[in-house]
Amino acid sequence: MLPVLSLIVLIPLLFSAFAFLTKTREQARVVALMGTLITLVLTLYMYFSFDSSSAAMQFEEMASWIPSLGINYHLGVDGISMPLILLNAIVIPLLILFTWDDVRSTPNRFYGLILAMQGAVIGVFISLDFFLFYVFWELTLIPLFFMVNIWGGPNKRHASIKFFIYTHVASLVMLLGIFGLYFAAWDQTGVANMGIAHLMSQFPMIGSGIARDAIFLALLFGFLVKLPIVPFHSWLPDAYAEAPTAGSVLFILLKIAGYGIFRVILPMLPATGTPDMMITILGLLGSVSIVYGAFLALSQKDLKRMVAYSSVSHMGFVALGAAGLVALSISGAMFQQFSHGLIMSIMFMSVGVIQASTGTRIINDLGGLATKMPKLAVIMMLAFMASLGLPGLTGFIAEFMVFTFSYVNVPTFVILALFGVVITAGYHLWAMQRTMFGVYNGKIGEVFDLSNVQTFSMAVIALLVLYFGLNPSPVLDMMITGSNEIVSLMAAMGV
Amino acid sequence: MVDLMLLAPEIIVALTGLIVLTIGIFMGSSSKNVLGYIATAGCLAALAMVIGNFSASALMFSDTLSVDPLSQFFKLVFLVVALIVSIASIKYTEDNKDTEIFYTLVLFATFGMMFVASANDLMVLFVAFELASIATYALAGFEKKNPRSVEASMKYLLMGALSAALLLMGISFVYGATGTTSIPGIAQNMDVLASNAIGLLAIVLLIAGFGFKIALVPFHMWAPDTYQGSPSVVSALLAAGSKKMAFVAAFKVFIVALLAIQADWRMAFAVLAVITMTYGNVVALSQRSVKRMLAYSSVAQAGYISMAFVVLTPMALTGGILYTLAHGFMKAGAFIATAAVVYMVIKEKRDTEIPDHLDNFKGLGKKMPITALCLTVFVLALAGIPPTAGYMSKFILFSSTIQAGMVWLAVIAILNSAVSLYYYARLVRYMYAMPHEGEKLAEPAPYVAALLISLVGVLAIGLWPEPFVKIAMQAASVLVGGI
Repeated sequence: MLPVLSLIVLIPLLFSAFAFLTKTREQARVVALMGTLITLVLTLYMYFSFDSSSAAMQFEEMASWIPSLGINYHLGVDGISMPLILLNAIVIPLLILFTWDDVRSTPNRFYGLILAMQGAVIGVFISLDFFLFYVFWELTLIPLFFMVNIWGGPNKRHASIKFFIYTHVASLVMLLGIFGLYFAAWDQTGVANMGIAHLMSQFPMIGSGIARDAIFLALLFGFLVKLPIVPFHSWLPDAYAEAPTAGSVLFILLKIAGYGIFRVILPMLPATGTPDMMITILGLLGSVSIVYGAFLALSQKDLKRMVAYSSVSHMGFVALGAAGLVALSISGAMFQQFSHGLIMSIMFMSVGVIQASTGTRIINDLGGLATKMPKLAVIMMLAFMASLGLPGLTGFIAEFMVFTFSYVNVPTFVILALFGVVITAGYHLWAMQRTMFGVYNGKIGEVFDLSNVQTFSMAVIALLVLYFGLNPSPVLDMMITGSNEIVSLMAAMGV
Repeated sequence: MVDLMLLAPEIIVALTGLIVLTIGIFMGSSSKNVLGYIATAGCLAALAMVIGNFSASALMFSDTLSVDPLSQFFKLVFLVVALIVSIASIKYTEDNKDTEIFYTLVLFATFGMMFVASANDLMVLFVAFELASIATYALAGFEKKNPRSVEASMKYLLMGALSAALLLMGISFVYGATGTTSIPGIAQNMDVLASNAIGLLAIVLLIAGFGFKIALVPFHMWAPDTYQGSPSVVSALLAAGSKKMAFVAAFKVFIVALLAIQADWRMAFAVLAVITMTYGNVVALSQRSVKRMLAYSSVAQAGYISMAFVVLTPMALTGGILYTLAHGFMKAGAFIATAAVVYMVIKEKRDTEIPDHLDNFKGLGKKMPITALCLTVFVLALAGIPPTAGYMSKFILFSSTIQAGMVWLAVIAILNSAVSLYYYARLVRYMYAMPHEGEKLAEPAPYVAALLISLVGVLAIGLWPEPFVKIAMQAASVLVGGI
């Protein structure tokens, strides 16, 4: 059978190398588009032959890599990872189309980095070996670092280094947790094995509750910083806001932290020494992020920073849904990741277009853009509505599921988080009103609307937001299967 | 009967040194390039012999030399570094009339290092150590007209002489107490040292003696000046090669000979490792000269490797030993890349006051794309980013620390590793994100060849570590007999 999982990692990486070698912008973008389209085709093939009623790993591949340390090249997908791969595979070619007419220095590097990023992110989603997982996890840092550092805004230097170091430190703490797990399991079984499933199955047997808590917290810290969640979020607004539009979208597609929470954190949680405390940490931080992130977004003058902070707020739902501990709340959290990836991509693209067209992102300097940029206004409006949770769009499904089903286990946090929704609606509408509607600000001068390729790429994503908002089952079904599997793993762990 | 096949690598290297010297003397001052190729060929041949006989094990010359996987592993490291340095030097020595002396010194230094790796007796070890050291003192001052190079050499020579004296004194204490200079012999007579204050004194002297060469803080003072002042290709040899010589010597002396009094030296290494990695990284943060930064980063890396002495488990030793090979590739590569940049800067007669200043790396990604790409991989590897050799060796070394229950040490090392990322990333940022002037330059082929060899090494250990881990384990098994 076709080693389709290896291919969807290798093809972007290979085309990334090709893109670096190209000489002109034409070549670079064509190579990039080809690479991502092949990846998309393979991913769609996978998606359509995927059995969403099965909780087992599918398309599994396994080869020995470093036998003396029990490290394997082990790949597989299930309902937890499949939607995220799909998200990346769909949005990245559209992102390349979106940047089709961009004139920027060294386009070969620009497209090379986008493809490298795609390979690394997909690699995280399909790794079933912790070592491999960590390798891809760290690899995602490099393209993003360069993306911000080379093409970022005025503060790019500060933002890129802050992002790099902040999340690298978090990853290293996570690595400590992986080490702890690895050796504890090694001691118990006498065999070295870095397999994620193997390590998690050994977790409940580790000596003391304190040791288990320490390992768990180290892993959790790594994921929460990357997610990111208040109070570990401060790298995010800088990085998101300084990144070029394509970089911001890549950041958005970097759903590896939430994925890690579903794949690793949740199944391990019941076996920790103090599971109640861990649930509280997750739920409290989640709901605080929702509210606090929304407040921060409300107070931003810069449209892009507002979108960035709204991302902090939205990521809170992932943690809150995870803390809900039932299959449907977890599915809601997963759906939030998927939905957020689509919606935020449009929002960042919109901000990018506004900045390119008007030369500013300061909300007060804008106004009445809808009259001059009708195409943008329609698409952006849809994204804003989806982001604030309007029924019929993906954001609603996610938030609704998280709130409804998390209430069972963590009602207090849900109630706290509900305040966030009001503020969220507030800043979205307020920002929309002050940028798109009202009187056209004459100081802006001539503006131009979306180009045809931009319209196409944004409209496709917008249609997906609508489509999955009306009919979530094509991805939600596999998420629910995945969540059921997580819940049964949790039940097996709860000693 | 001595099996000369097992000594073939040493013989080849020494003979090549002599051949290069002889040919060079009788040759006109033109087209001495061929000497570089001869030296390279010699290294390659010796390398092939080492790999061919990797698992050999033999004692020779009244047991003063021991050929075993440990010595073979380190010979591999030294030869790889010598190979990289020889190739890169083809360009460096192009306009120099003392080419033959340069290569001879490189080869003799390597020869000395290889003997240190096989030494089974402290006297042989000391003599080989000095053979290698004296050759490197001369190499450090090879640019006779460059005051920085002369200063580098002087500092190195004086500090080296001091460390040799300390080392010799340490050895004499050990001899005085145990009545032998044979490494296994000392191990057998350890009980005398263990119950004696002289043992403690010997440890202090030996750590200081080796510490100078390894550049452990506080014995590192010479290193930044010497690495910066020496010709860059020589800095590569010093940082990637001769530092490892001190490591293999320290492995043998402490872990084989002085294992019985480990309680005394383990603590010392723990303190030194922590101070060294922290100091090296923190000071590296503020450097504007790339060679100086690499020098301090090298100090920090030595701190990581020293963790192997503290943890002292088979896995930690494997990690430490693998790290020396990885560091050989990464550091040699990084210095060679800097050498290529310095060469270009001097050729273009730009700011030659500090030719390796960070500012001269601006826009390198455009000007010298291959060099910049390789240097990026090397510094990311030094920072421990996967999938590179640096990550792989850090992975094994740091994780063994956790396995041994020394979480505090692992945390310090990991935090240090994170700090180091800042200055490595800064270099990368200068190369790719800074505005610059100047057109794309033709990168000199010898440098590129040397860089690509290092690149292959760094990526091979990162992507396909199994064979390297295996041989490092084999090498470590020589040490772990008594643990």
